[in-house]
Amino acid sequence: MPLRSPRFLRRIIAVFRWNVQDADMDQEMAFHIDAMTREYVRAGMSEADAARAARKRFGNVRRHKEAGHDVRTAHLDQLLGDLKSGVRQLVHARGFASVALITLALGIGVNAAVFAVVKSVLLDALPYPDADRLVRISGGAATQAGTLGPLSAGTVSDIGERQRSFTSLAAFTALPLEATYGSESGPQVTTITWVEPQFFDTLGVAARLGRTFRQDDAINGLVPLSGGLAAQETGGRVVLSHRAWTRLFASDPNVIGRDARVNSVTRTIIGVLPDGFVAPMGQVDFFLAFDRAPVVANPITARRSQWLGLIGRLKPGISQDAGAREVERIWSELVREYAADNGSLTMRAMPLRTSMVGDTRAPLLVLMASASLVLLITCANLAASLLSRALSRKKEFAVRAALGAGTSRLVRQLLTESTVLAAIGGVAGMLLAIVALDRISDLAKGALPVYAEPSLDWGAILATSALALCTGVLFGLAPALSVSRSETQRTLRDESRGSSEGRHSRRLRGTLVAAQLALCVSLLVGAGLLTRSLWAMTGASLGFEPANVLTGIVTLSPRNYRDPQLWLQFRQQFEERIRALPGVESVATATSLPTAVRQRMGVSPEGTPATEAQPFVLSTVVSDDYFRTLRIPLQQGRTFGAQDRPDSPRVVVVSEGMARRFWPNGNAIGSRLRLGPDLDSPLVEVVGIVGDVRNDRARRDAEPMAYATTRQIPVPIITFMVRTKGDPLAVVKPIERELAGLDRGLPLQQVMTLPARLGDGLTGRRLPVLLMTAFGMLALLLATVGVYSLFASMTASREREFGVRMALGSRPGAIAALVLRQGIGWIAGGLVMGAFGIVIVARLVRDLLYQVSPFDPMTVAVSIAILVTCATLALLIPVRRATRVDAAVALRAQ
Amino acid sequence: MGVRDFDLIQGTLDLLVLKCLGTGANHGYGIALRIHQLSEDALRIEEGSLYPALYRMEEQGLIESEWGVTENNRRAKFYSLTRKGRSVADAELDSWLRLSKAVTRVLRALEQGA
Repeated sequence: MPLRSPRFLRRIIAVFRWNVQDADMDQEMAFHIDAMTREYVRAGMSEADAARAARKRFGNVRRHKEAGHDVRTAHLDQLLGDLKSGVRQLVHARGFASVALITLALGIGVNAAVFAVVKSVLLDALPYPDADRLVRISGGAATQAGTLGPLSAGTVSDIGERQRSFTSLAAFTALPLEATYGSESGPQVTTITWVEPQFFDTLGVAARLGRTFRQDDAINGLVPLSGGLAAQETGGRVVLSHRAWTRLFASDPNVIGRDARVNSVTRTIIGVLPDGFVAPMGQVDFFLAFDRAPVVANPITARRSQWLGLIGRLKPGISQDAGAREVERIWSELVREYAADNGSLTMRAMPLRTSMVGDTRAPLLVLMASASLVLLITCANLAASLLSRALSRKKEFAVRAALGAGTSRLVRQLLTESTVLAAIGGVAGMLLAIVALDRISDLAKGALPVYAEPSLDWGAILATSALALCTGVLFGLAPALSVSRSETQRTLRDESRGSSEGRHSRRLRGTLVAAQLALCVSLLVGAGLLTRSLWAMTGASLGFEPANVLTGIVTLSPRNYRDPQLWLQFRQQFEERIRALPGVESVATATSLPTAVRQRMGVSPEGTPATEAQPFVLSTVVSDDYFRTLRIPLQQGRTFGAQDRPDSPRVVVVSEGMARRFWPNGNAIGSRLRLGPDLDSPLVEVVGIVGDVRNDRARRDAEPMAYATTRQIPVPIITFMVRTKGDPLAVVKPIERELAGLDRGLPLQQVMTLPARLGDGLTGRRLPVLLMTAFGMLALLLATVGVYSLFASMTASREREFGVRMALGSRPGAIAALVLRQGIGWIAGGLVMGAFGIVIVARLVRDLLYQVSPFDPMTVAVSIAILVTCATLALLIPVRRATRVDAAVALRAQ
Repeated sequence: MGVRDFDLIQGTLDLLVLKCLGTGANHGYGIALRIHQLSEDALRIEEGSLYPALYRMEEQGLIESEWGVTENNRRAKFYSLTRKGRSVADAELDSWLRLSKAVTRVLRALEQGA
């Protein structure tokens, strides 16, 4: 038997082969007539008579052909007919169709958009080969749990010597640094990172152009300085990221060997990285290579200065767990052997992906869960509306069944209708998803890991549509199937006698609506909890007043400002010039902005034995007016002033929390301590105590903080804060002019108001709040529509019953009570089911909460109140209608 | 007597065509001619119903068609039975024989009784 394509395929092909088919039939029939003609000739007729007779005998060729076509396309006609009637039905039932379409579009769109984001972060491959074998090892003070703290160079070397699990390890400066790139059109702010030469090999990334680093590219001399990481800027060779190549070098194919002036040092470009490569520390323009050996050789910098990040590639066959266990074991050795250096530090290893996903994981999972809840509501809503529609058409089906339509014919028609619905809803959902993804990507910018590139996943869209649809079709089909021939008579009789909807299907619809309410109240509670957390976070005092403060950064290039004396001079001139501007109330400079202090230093109060581990405190260097400009209250003693000269005894101002911790007896003022790793460094004196400032907004307690003065510790990176009388942005231009007056080659970087800068830091927190609130509203809308459509159709189908009751003397109030009682029963049922949902949601968002209990009674109460109000309003419309039934009209209606 | 517009019981034409093709592939004219001859000129198949029936049965997968050459060296479309068509033909023949036997028996009894 010859192999043939499936019948439906042949049928479809046949439609497109109409002409071929037509010619085929022509030939076939011509042959028939011809054969007959010859038969007649043989019987004795003349040629002409025979032909005429044969044609007459055969009949109308065109009619025969048409009949042939009809037979061949009958199935297609039926499909077209179903489609037409499907569209007609939807247009006819406009209310039902729009509810179903909006529901479908929302459910599909929201899910597709959120899934795109989640997938890009949690599922998409990292931009490195065999990324599963990459490990990130991080350290930091014990107080920094949960962040990727840096390691000391000594620790990195120790791990390298003792480990057996990794094929290679590579360290890099944990935080990318800003640097100026001297392009022809003026200085530009760029990002640089120092890496060990084997960094790219460890990641498994090869250069797109040129090469990556070799061991002899590393320069020895990168040294961490107190008061910020700095380097002897002699790295002569740089590798460009793809972004820098396109942005700064216009994708020049001959860029290898060209010069690049970074931080006023001319360096040679040796390689360009491939597109799509993103370093684990974030977007970087220039990579430079450094050598760890000299740092480890210096006892002061070796183990007491933490500034390195570390990645490693596991040997084949060694699991992430085994690698982490080995790192843990090495660390416990290191803590024992170097107790004074490592005693108050931690170290841990984790998969590189985990480290890059960071704290976006929990919010994303919450989002995905919320979107899934919306999808569930979508399904329930769609199921309920298709079910009620099918019920209201039961009589139509019964009539058609009685007239001879088979069950399969009815099912096919319903399926066609649902498919039309799904196709339109799916397209609308996709459009919505594109818009929503755009908005979410915008909102999430800065909150997502660097490698994440959200894009719509068509598979997910299809799966979502199919799920929503299948649920709907299953519920819509059931009533059609129940109208089998045997029941036709009863249905027809039933309907005409005017009884109400069956108890069974009414209960099913009620349960669907109650389920929607349950899901909805869970979402509302989740959104409420997150909103309250965000309020608490933004509302709680940070310890300073950010309003009306403009901030920005100026980085002095090491080439032109070699002498720290020049740094001090520049800083003072810059401050003076800004202070003289109109509208400026006060100006301060510091190494970093409040809430962005990253430097931690070991503290040894005078008299502490050198063998004891140093506790860490945050440390920053500030100018005289820092406290006044930010309005950080002075509690005791004094702040900095002219008496603090570079050659006078070193002084610090400490935070309240630090004073309490180290000098619990209240004798902080006048006490002396050592700051930093060097145990021979001079003692510094505490001269003042200021109010606590919360450096990490997500934590309710303020970490201890020590302030040194820019008069005694000059730093080449100048972060300035200007308090203005009016709009802070009004002084941007004047400040730029003053800066140009001092040095034309220095760009003004990251100019922003302080509140804007602080808001930026909360993007990651704000995202789940915004989206979950949006989803909550969506769920509320869907559930409200669900309640309305259920009771609207229920009261409509009982109109006759109400009419009879009225005729028998029932009062409108009694009928309203009847419907209300039923509605309130379902709402209450929904709330009871919702209790379980609330427990699950509370557990889900617990990690994201700030100063709010997961079962905050206020939030739960408000959520329930909102839901009940909306549901009741939705219920009142059908109730009103029920009480207005005119008994005479209702009874006559049949 | 040549019965021209003999109203075939619905399905009978299909059965005749299927059984006719059971002995070998044939073209439309050949099928009509053969049935005409075998019925001793009693049955005359209307071309207007023959071709739609052929197309319908092809759609249903009972027969398949192929262009070929007749003994007189002329191009014609040849129809032949599929496996499905063969089993349908057997089943149909069975029920037709039973039906016609029953009808004949009844008619004959009535004839004699009268």
